[in-house]
Amino acid sequence: MKFLVKVNRDLWDTYMPERSREKENGGRGTSFRIIMNTMRLAVVVFFMAVFQVAAGNLEAQQVSLKKKDATLLEVLQAIRKQTGYLFVCDKEMIRKTHKVSLSLDKVDLKVALDIAFKDQPVTYSIHDKTIIVRELPRRQESPAPVRPAGAGGEGATGTEQDRTQVDPRLMERALKLWEADIQVRGRVLDESGEGLPGVSILIKGTQRGTTSDGSGNFLLNVPDKESVLIFSFVGYVSQEIPVGNQTELQVTLVSDRKVLEEVVVVGYGVQKKQDLTGAVASVKGEEVAARRTVQISQALQGAMPGVTVTRGGNAPGSGGSIRIRGITTIGDSNPLVIVDGVPVNSINDVNPNDVEEISVLKDAASASIYGSRAAAGVILITTKRAREGHLSLDYNFSMGMEKATRLPEYVDAIRYMEMTNELRWNDNGNTGTEYPVYSQDLISNYLNLNRENPDLYPITDWVGLILNRNAPRQSHQLNLTGGSGPLKTKASIGYDKIGALYEGRTYDRATIRVNNDIKINNYLSAQVDLYYLRSLSDQPYIDPIFYTFISAPVYAARWSDGRIGAGKTGNNIYGSLKEGGFRKDTRQNLGGRLSLDFKPFKDLTLTGVFAPNLIMGSHKHFRKRVPYYTWNDPTVFEGVIEFNLSTLLTEARKEYQHYTTQFLANYNKSLGRHSLGILAGYENFYARNDSISASRDQYTLNNFPYLNQGPLEFRNNSGNAWENAYRSYFGRIMYNFDEKYYIQANVRHDGSSRFHKDHRWGTFPSVSVGWVLSRENFINDTGPLSFLKLRASWGNLGNERIGNYPYQATIAFGNTLFHKGTDVSSELTAAQTAYAIQNISWEKTESFDFGLDANFFSNRLQLTADYFHKTTRDMLLNLEIPSFLGFSNPAQNAGTMKSKGWEFQAGWQDQAGDFRYGISLNLSDIRSRLGNLGGTQFLGDKIKREGSEFDEWYGYRTDGLFQTDEEVANTPTINASVRPGDVKYLDISGPDGIPDGKITPDYDRTLLGGSMPRMLFGGNIRLGWKNLNLHLAFQGVGKQNSRITPIMVTPLHTNWGNIPAILDGNHWSVYNTPEQNLSARYPRLSRVQESSNLAMSDYWLFNGAYFRIKNLTLGYDLPTTLTEKIKIGGINAFVSISDFLTLSKYPRGWDPETAAEGNSVGYPITTQYMLGLAVKF
Amino acid sequence: MIMKSLRNIFVMILSLTVWSCSDLDLNPLSEGSSETWFSNDVEINMSLNDLYKPAFWPVDPTDWTDDWINREVLTPITSATINGEWATVASRWNAHYQAVSRANAVINALETKEVPLVDEVKERYIAEARFVRAYQYSRLISYFGDVVYYTQTIPLEEAYKTGRTPKSQVLNAIYEDFDYAIARLPESYPATSPTRGTKGAALAFKARIALYNQDWEIARDAAKALIDMGTYSLHPDFGELFLSSTRRVPEIVHSIARSATLGVSENIRAYLPRNNGGWGGQFGPSWSLLGSFLCTDGLPVDESPFFDPRDPFKNRDPRCSYTIVPFQSAFLGFIYQPHPDSLEILNLNTGRYQVNNDTRGNQQFASFNGLILKKGVDETWADDFLNDSDIIVMRYADVLLMYAEAKIELGEIDDSVLEAMNRVRARAYKVDYKATSQYPAITTTDRDELRSILRFERRMEFAFEGTRYMDLIRWRVAEKALNMPNYGLLDPDELRAKVTSKGLWFFPEVPAVDENAVVDFTGLGQKGLAKLLTNGQFDASRQYLWPIPSKEVLINENMDQNPGY
Repeated sequence: MKFLVKVNRDLWDTYMPERSREKENGGRGTSFRIIMNTMRLAVVVFFMAVFQVAAGNLEAQQVSLKKKDATLLEVLQAIRKQTGYLFVCDKEMIRKTHKVSLSLDKVDLKVALDIAFKDQPVTYSIHDKTIIVRELPRRQESPAPVRPAGAGGEGATGTEQDRTQVDPRLMERALKLWEADIQVRGRVLDESGEGLPGVSILIKGTQRGTTSDGSGNFLLNVPDKESVLIFSFVGYVSQEIPVGNQTELQVTLVSDRKVLEEVVVVGYGVQKKQDLTGAVASVKGEEVAARRTVQISQALQGAMPGVTVTRGGNAPGSGGSIRIRGITTIGDSNPLVIVDGVPVNSINDVNPNDVEEISVLKDAASASIYGSRAAAGVILITTKRAREGHLSLDYNFSMGMEKATRLPEYVDAIRYMEMTNELRWNDNGNTGTEYPVYSQDLISNYLNLNRENPDLYPITDWVGLILNRNAPRQSHQLNLTGGSGPLKTKASIGYDKIGALYEGRTYDRATIRVNNDIKINNYLSAQVDLYYLRSLSDQPYIDPIFYTFISAPVYAARWSDGRIGAGKTGNNIYGSLKEGGFRKDTRQNLGGRLSLDFKPFKDLTLTGVFAPNLIMGSHKHFRKRVPYYTWNDPTVFEGVIEFNLSTLLTEARKEYQHYTTQFLANYNKSLGRHSLGILAGYENFYARNDSISASRDQYTLNNFPYLNQGPLEFRNNSGNAWENAYRSYFGRIMYNFDEKYYIQANVRHDGSSRFHKDHRWGTFPSVSVGWVLSRENFINDTGPLSFLKLRASWGNLGNERIGNYPYQATIAFGNTLFHKGTDVSSELTAAQTAYAIQNISWEKTESFDFGLDANFFSNRLQLTADYFHKTTRDMLLNLEIPSFLGFSNPAQNAGTMKSKGWEFQAGWQDQAGDFRYGISLNLSDIRSRLGNLGGTQFLGDKIKREGSEFDEWYGYRTDGLFQTDEEVANTPTINASVRPGDVKYLDISGPDGIPDGKITPDYDRTLLGGSMPRMLFGGNIRLGWKNLNLHLAFQGVGKQNSRITPIMVTPLHTNWGNIPAILDGNHWSVYNTPEQNLSARYPRLSRVQESSNLAMSDYWLFNGAYFRIKNLTLGYDLPTTLTEKIKIGGINAFVSISDFLTLSKYPRGWDPETAAEGNSVGYPITTQYMLGLAVKF
Repeated sequence: MIMKSLRNIFVMILSLTVWSCSDLDLNPLSEGSSETWFSNDVEINMSLNDLYKPAFWPVDPTDWTDDWINREVLTPITSATINGEWATVASRWNAHYQAVSRANAVINALETKEVPLVDEVKERYIAEARFVRAYQYSRLISYFGDVVYYTQTIPLEEAYKTGRTPKSQVLNAIYEDFDYAIARLPESYPATSPTRGTKGAALAFKARIALYNQDWEIARDAAKALIDMGTYSLHPDFGELFLSSTRRVPEIVHSIARSATLGVSENIRAYLPRNNGGWGGQFGPSWSLLGSFLCTDGLPVDESPFFDPRDPFKNRDPRCSYTIVPFQSAFLGFIYQPHPDSLEILNLNTGRYQVNNDTRGNQQFASFNGLILKKGVDETWADDFLNDSDIIVMRYADVLLMYAEAKIELGEIDDSVLEAMNRVRARAYKVDYKATSQYPAITTTDRDELRSILRFERRMEFAFEGTRYMDLIRWRVAEKALNMPNYGLLDPDELRAKVTSKGLWFFPEVPAVDENAVVDFTGLGQKGLAKLLTNGQFDASRQYLWPIPSKEVLINENMDQNPGY
């Protein structure tokens, strides 16, 4: 306690007093002081929170106060706050008092009051805990001259006679207060049973009241049993409770079902949900945190309609890619992410636990205030801030493990040899021996031979050897919130550590965020936020997943004595993993935001924001040479592991900085039934990226991962930099009449450095309207309908993300080796590599949205539906130009794309006794079709060309497998090596537009249907009963043309790999009966025909729909009777499982979300099992 | 109070506004601007240097030919599955056209821009760029036949409609470019400046493209002009010529420099024996190549009494043992022996016997046909699997044989023809070409015999140097040579039973060799004495030309596809 008091005094010294500050700085310049104070502020406010938490227990009768030229009322209010004493006084009377200046440090209340009342025309008396202020008895004719403050003179009416006595009414009330007070204590809880801080508790008909503390507790003196207490809190239904005979109250506030009153964050401001005219979806921070993901992007999967999150595996620290209302452009379709009003680089730079709310602006009307870069949608994240009177310290801890949902399976050693023989025999035209690789003897004796000499006859379970059954993870989060009046602070520290399914890989992340709200005076307030993130991804030099899957069992990962084995002649992923070095990638993000609000008068707010952000990346990649030796002699060198031929160190540093500056003017005015809001703003953004890298190769020592340890010969280094900037002017007008008719208009004017001076500026307007039918008289409001609104919006959005200098034909530099005499030397080269089109400018997306919000049964059932239509014009794309021009494809505005879609969301929540429940469902669909692309086509297995869907599958049509030689002979084939058991392609066209008897890629491939996921759905269910809470979230894809990719079905991958188990018994084979072959799912085993058979065709398409439970959490709040005993505000314990129970038609062993494109495969999707505790102090 | 705040706010806004207005006229920080490029000698030299990127000078890989095996793997060319989607088709097309467009840029800048250079230097620079352009077009027509020809940047709208120019027209333009270059390029460069295009290279590449197109006179004259320059001579040691320690000797007409320390090298692990940590000749010489070397009497193996199928390296042209590692010889610190019963082998560095990983008796993946490449392999290969020897694009021996071939086809058979061929052959035997008793000197003047000898000579001389594929194409021999099975050793048990135990190691019988140096082991295969590795396929109806990349055909309706694709 003593320590805290000391801190207290120091704090005041640092923070407030002019005297000590001047002494300290010895008269240095003001600017220095400002900098010093700003810097200190961040540190100080952090400790403030610590102090505030403890301060509540301080002895109440002592007062510390420093005021200069304060009114007596201010002084008394301050004293009241510190001591809890009530003051009773007359307003008129107090006006006559003069201002006081005082500096008190822990003095008695009485002393403090004496100082404050010195020379005042009033005096005081203390009755129990109430202080009554009254006029001084007039002993002298002329007291010390009174210096009335401000317009004090006007109060000098009435007769002096009146003031010689205490007002009898006042006296009566005051006496009543201290005579008949009943002390009521209690706790305010929210629906989940957690203490609700900051709830205002007022005695009805008076101004007396209090607010609940950080744990929801309160203590209040009420005059009598007839008193009624009003409990109110933003977002909750106010409750009135008569005191009666109770002295202990437990009040549960029910969240405001009039969710329409709920406030939603929109561009550069907030809006009541009922006032929205655009399409905005939002999700609460608690829903984000409940998913227990490390990255926010993953937590948004299935959380909102129209927001699609796709993952490429669950590698430690990995996020997901977010699409809002599908694809908007061929280029970058990543949404713009804004944190607390400032654009950031990645959504994953915010700790999910720090999120207060996420809003997604989906239509042009909502997003066009962000005109530039908003075409792909905008995600607004607000971070948690301290609330008035909210005082808390809480700590969350969770730990658990991850397990792969599914892993592909491969055949065993014997089947591997048998099927390899079959494959080779097939490729030899089924001539010669049927045991072309492994002799019959070897196969039949292999198990015995393996027992005798596992080094010469290995059976290696690569997956079992390399992949662990589970990976650990843990997470810690500490939150401190505190403050009231001038300074409120929320500070949080988070730490996550996640292991991987294989050795040597971890992801560590620490985040710190301090959000301060400072009220300087009635006109000025500020927000000062600082955040810092550091993540370290530590992994083996090589990602082992691909080779772990495909390595065949007949190669030795390690010799029987434990040394690294030869694998497939040096291709030994186990050896690479164990001894092959590491990759350490560190990312640091340091950012801040300084925002000043200035309210010159009631309806106008001027805001200035400055937000710097610095991202530093560094990596150290150290590849080690891994030699291996013969199985029977550790001294005889046999070779070097394939991916580890030499020891190579690469180090790189990257520095990305960006600065956002904003000025906003907000004007809001309500006049009668008219309500008007105007916003005008200016924004400037500048970003610069610098990177360098250096490497040395052929290290002789394996254990010094530093550049100075490497040889001079094999040095390499490089560096580059780029920058970009934009400047924007924007405005918004909102008007509504009687909360019934709404109209809103936005416009933004953006200039980007990415375009040429003459094509730089773009203007993006939007208009939206809303009509609340339920407020019309002709709607009968006695029925179940409680709210009905129609919305419509139109607008234009922009996109400029296509390289940094797309209009400039740049000269790229390089190096080429030449002979100088007989020496070899490097010479500098230069060439224009890209064609440049100077008039490249903004891509524009026009969008229409029609929406409906309807609530029923006293807002318990909420429905939202939207239909939208977007057209992207002047699409920025790399124009496919003839290759013979010799340039890479230039960026250009070419092409259009149209998308249509709809979204639907329904929610229901209610309470029945102790049972609380809520359910929410969302469903959306979108389809994008490409218009004229200026002749450009994006070919490949997924195609983008005029008339096709975005990324539509493109390949051959098929008619099963060839069954007989005659069939092969009489059918057009893709090449001369086709045999029965190969895929039979259809000859659909030729050079003259008619089938030409040949299967060619130029004429026989066609559109095979869209590849994008359709009918996306998600939802969650919340159940609560007394102290128990159950949360379940699910998500899925209703319909998708998915491909069985080559990696899933390629036998002998890279010519020696294993054979997928799904092929065994299901492939066409010369050993099968004709009937068996007729029902074979997969073509014959072949390497020669591998690329032909596995080429993109409808043969490999299937319905990739899936349903997945994203998260199931069961939480339990320990009873407060228990926690109070150990002086803890509350304890919540939970168990949680994420990503489990998946239903899909994917081939055995493949998760529908695992990234398996072509021949590559990503980290598995994992199921996470978590246990956790949340403690509130 | 309000006034004070207002003043503060005003000052704050003012200072931040000044501070926060970023310049929107941003230019690349780490790249140059094309607007101002080509303004001086240094910039032009940098652009000329760019024309010699290795990507623009690709050498045809040996795996498109019958000199090669990669176990049981074929390429789209050797399995007849080539089509317009094959990545190599697009990458060759793109690379050569990139070089064309960049050469054009230099030429156009020099011809139209005011560059402070004396006319002579300017012309030499133009000559260099035209030399590169001619070479690139000569490659393009060799693969694709008719191609798009241009010397000025084509406007984009026009480019979508530009079709192919007949090959003969392109060829004439190539000759013109080469002639311009020949007249102005230096014969050599001083040791202080980078060696770029030379007069000799221009002559040699002109001869090559003329030969490929049966313009025999042009080929003859260009080759003759180079020979008459006297600048070039054959390197005395054939084996040494291809090592990384041998650079820019007088035999080299044009080569691409490589250096491992400067980061340019290739990984050659697949060629090396397994005893050295290699992959046991995963990539290696075929039996067909081994069979194609003449015997020391100048006769093919199926005619010469000197050929011993039990010891196939005995009595062969010396280039045989320079190209393929002879059995029982020292190679990279070991004795090389693929015999299935040679389970232990002498390590020359330790002097001890150790497990022989280069026999399939021990290792399933030891060389499938028992052969390992030797040409160009030196001790430095083995330690880090990196090879940085220069890529020889043209050497004097090729010029001599081109001269001879042109003369033979013209029917102008004279002493100069025999001299040119004998010089090449005598060098292999390390004797003077006039010492005709010490090597099988060529003496016949019969045109058909000489043509046949020349084809043997080219196969022996240039194995694994990238000329074989175009030789097969232009001679129209590919349809036989590539339509043939590739054989290797039987699996160890079968091999012991059928071959070694019967004393038939290495070749159980002599293969048939035709007049085009195509070697046929089908007899061996049919008797079950060799294992079929691959069944080569070549579609003569279309494969003498490559397909145009599919993308080019799809986006441009005037771009015709080659027949059969």
